[in-house]
Amino acid sequence: MSASAYLSGVNLVAGGLLVLTVAVVWRRDLAAMIRLLALQGLFLGAIPVLAGVYHRDAQLVVVGVAVAALRAGLFPRLLRARLRGEPAEDREAAPLVTTTASLLAAAALIIVAYVVAAPVVRLGPDGPARAAPVGFAMVFIGIFLLVTRRKALSQVIGLLILDNGIDAVAFVAAAGVPVIVELGVSLDVLLGVLVLGVLAGRMHAKFGGTDLDELRELHE
Amino acid sequence: MTATVESTVSAPRRGTGRPAAGLAPALAGTVTVGLGGAAGLLGVLGISGHGGGVRLGWLLPLAGVDFAVSATAGLFMLLVGLVAVAAGVYSIGYFRTSGASTITLAVAPVFTAAMLGVLAAGSVVTLLVCWEMMALASLVGVLSDHHRPAALDAGRWYAGMTQLGFVAILVGLVVLSASGGSGDMVLLGRHAGRLTPTARNAVFALTALGFGSKAGLVPLHVWLPRAHPEAPGPVSALMSAAMVAVGIYGLVRVDVQILGPGPRWWAVAVLGFGALSAVYGVLQASVSTDLKRLLAYSTTENMGVVAVGVGAGMLLIDYHRPGAAAVAIAAALVHTVAHAVFKALLFLSAGAAVAATGIRDLDRLGGLAVRMPATTILFAVGALGASGLPLGAGFVSEWLLLQALIHTEPGSGTLLAVVMPVAVGVVALSTGLGVAAMVKAFGVGFLARPRSPEAAEAREASPSMVAGMSFAAAACGVAAVAPVVLSAALDKVLGETPGVGLSAAPSLGVVLRLPGLAGSVSPAVLAAAVVSVTLAVVVLAGRAGARRRPAAVTAPLWTCGAGPLSERMEYTATSFAQPLQQVFDVVLRPEVDVEVSHAGGSEYLVERVRFRSRVDDTVELRLYRPILAAVSRWAGWVRRAHPGSVHLYIGYGAIGVTVVLVVAR
Repeated sequence: MSASAYLSGVNLVAGGLLVLTVAVVWRRDLAAMIRLLALQGLFLGAIPVLAGVYHRDAQLVVVGVAVAALRAGLFPRLLRARLRGEPAEDREAAPLVTTTASLLAAAALIIVAYVVAAPVVRLGPDGPARAAPVGFAMVFIGIFLLVTRRKALSQVIGLLILDNGIDAVAFVAAAGVPVIVELGVSLDVLLGVLVLGVLAGRMHAKFGGTDLDELRELHE
Repeated sequence: MTATVESTVSAPRRGTGRPAAGLAPALAGTVTVGLGGAAGLLGVLGISGHGGGVRLGWLLPLAGVDFAVSATAGLFMLLVGLVAVAAGVYSIGYFRTSGASTITLAVAPVFTAAMLGVLAAGSVVTLLVCWEMMALASLVGVLSDHHRPAALDAGRWYAGMTQLGFVAILVGLVVLSASGGSGDMVLLGRHAGRLTPTARNAVFALTALGFGSKAGLVPLHVWLPRAHPEAPGPVSALMSAAMVAVGIYGLVRVDVQILGPGPRWWAVAVLGFGALSAVYGVLQASVSTDLKRLLAYSTTENMGVVAVGVGAGMLLIDYHRPGAAAVAIAAALVHTVAHAVFKALLFLSAGAAVAATGIRDLDRLGGLAVRMPATTILFAVGALGASGLPLGAGFVSEWLLLQALIHTEPGSGTLLAVVMPVAVGVVALSTGLGVAAMVKAFGVGFLARPRSPEAAEAREASPSMVAGMSFAAAACGVAAVAPVVLSAALDKVLGETPGVGLSAAPSLGVVLRLPGLAGSVSPAVLAAAVVSVTLAVVVLAGRAGARRRPAAVTAPLWTCGAGPLSERMEYTATSFAQPLQQVFDVVLRPEVDVEVSHAGGSEYLVERVRFRSRVDDTVELRLYRPILAAVSRWAGWVRRAHPGSVHLYIGYGAIGVTVVLVVAR
């Protein structure tokens, strides 16, 4: 694989990640958001696989496959299982701001990300690090989703996009992370998702909904 | 006519939580006594110059723990050891009769150990860690009866004041060791000259604030009259006798010895706040009707007198009067030791009275002399010490202090010529009013007839309590007639103090001599004279009386036609203090309320007169309430930022991350 092919491959994947992230902001249907998230996980796994093929490093390929399996396979399954437990009217993201405003905010956050990520890009202006701003944009948009979505499940999706963004930055800036670190991070996120899933279930049982706005006061 | 006097009524003290098993109080007491004995030994080693360093690197990550006992620390360890032995022996009987949870029992040993750690600390970090342990252990002691709102209130005040003081000391000592280039206390003493004047002044202000609040100096004393009465007897003795002395230790060690001779305003500030504390403390003590609160205010007064001595010493060093400075600082140290022994005795015997009756209100006590003779005599010994009269523990130090203050040569400088006579007045006034306060506490609390059924049913304290109090009383006696035992220690401490003439150290033998100052007195000879004259008068008068005594006749006492004598006719604490309250009306601002109800509509026939008098702490009302109200308003504003919305909280996090990223580029 030539260097230019590798670079354009990474750029293509990065573009796909960004489009998918914006699409998650755009959709209201939770099931559709989960589908987009699964696709994003697949794209994310593609970056280390590309790097592994280019550098002829089998370990990186393994990491890529593992990431894809976890983020495109396990996480969406867990989320779907959780979604089936929700009543029909709760299967929407219920944002605090309108979709148009969300999209405008996402655009603004992408610009901020390009400004903020400048030092990372300077590390390797000719390499895959040029795609680092995409990762930052995913982090910002993930936080934006956390702040503006009401349902517990859409919060989990925001958190996962945030984590995908961190992973993306790590992959493009450092040409992959050691397997053990990646495993640790993934396990951490997995536990986080499980805990959030259980928490959402408990909230549902306790308050009859997973609307975070109803959680303003402490209960015994 | 009815005269009800409103004051705090305290319920009988009950232990909280799980009551400890039979052997636990004995175990805790023995540990405390053992710690006290070890402290005495270490103190003697420190004074003799063998308090060498011990380093435990593994005990605390990064910094390690250093112990090195200087002579100054040795003197104070001896003091804490004395108090700990008395309180430890006493606590066995005290906790057995009044019952206490295991946590309360653990307070006294842990607290003693922490205080010793502060004194033995060889590095700044060790001192700070032990200081915080000391604060927390004593806080647990204050809260040992946490079901009562008064104890909770005292705990809140104490926690707030002690932590603020800790912050001041922490910042001050961190600045000191950062600028001095070392955390070692001995090295710091040598390197303190490297500090810029601004840093020196800041370190002095911060550490003096912190140590002063621990010593209970006005206006940082507000926790003291609340916290000391709420703690159980032995713990309040440890707090009021030993812990305030640890505050003085900090002041002497850090601000006088390490920071060395400083600008003149340091001395004036210490002396000024000391004078304020002495007068304000004794005024509040003389009008207080709560026995333990009275003793707590007396602590503020005595620490004020000590601070006057320290401040006068600093001022005299500044004026190059090493002889007089040595006497002033020696007076402060002797008074700290004397205060520790007599205040320990007073708090222990007051604790015995409170444990026997369940009452702290002097207006409802009385008549204990018949029912608790040992406790009464021991309280009298302590009260005599607190009065600063000959035969009492406080006499030697007050005399030394007055000598240092009055022997200012003319033409020494305007400041000295103004400050010293004022200080003499302050010491004299506080001693005089102190006598009134102690006469009130002893006369109203222990003599005459009991004013309540609880006081009438009081029983003598248990043998171990009497033993503990007797130990403290013996220490009082030694301090009163043989201060020579402190002589060696004082020489060493003055040798560690820069700017003080070692050759001019006062000699405390049978006759107190002050080289460089005209004046000497012999407390031992004075005591022997007083005792022998008193005995002679008693014996001679008894003989003379026996010869011409008529036969005894039993008849009712004439009571101006008011019926048989009753306890309602006695002086109460409120009525005893009324003239003083009247005279110092402007400072004390008592709330007095007289309500007269007339019988049958005639303004000449009085059915009932209700008199209420209440003296609040003026400093607290005028200084602290506005500050607390302002803090509370400000907290209200801050509270608006966290309304409970999860989204808002995540938003704060997002803004924080963005700011960090933008700044980091």
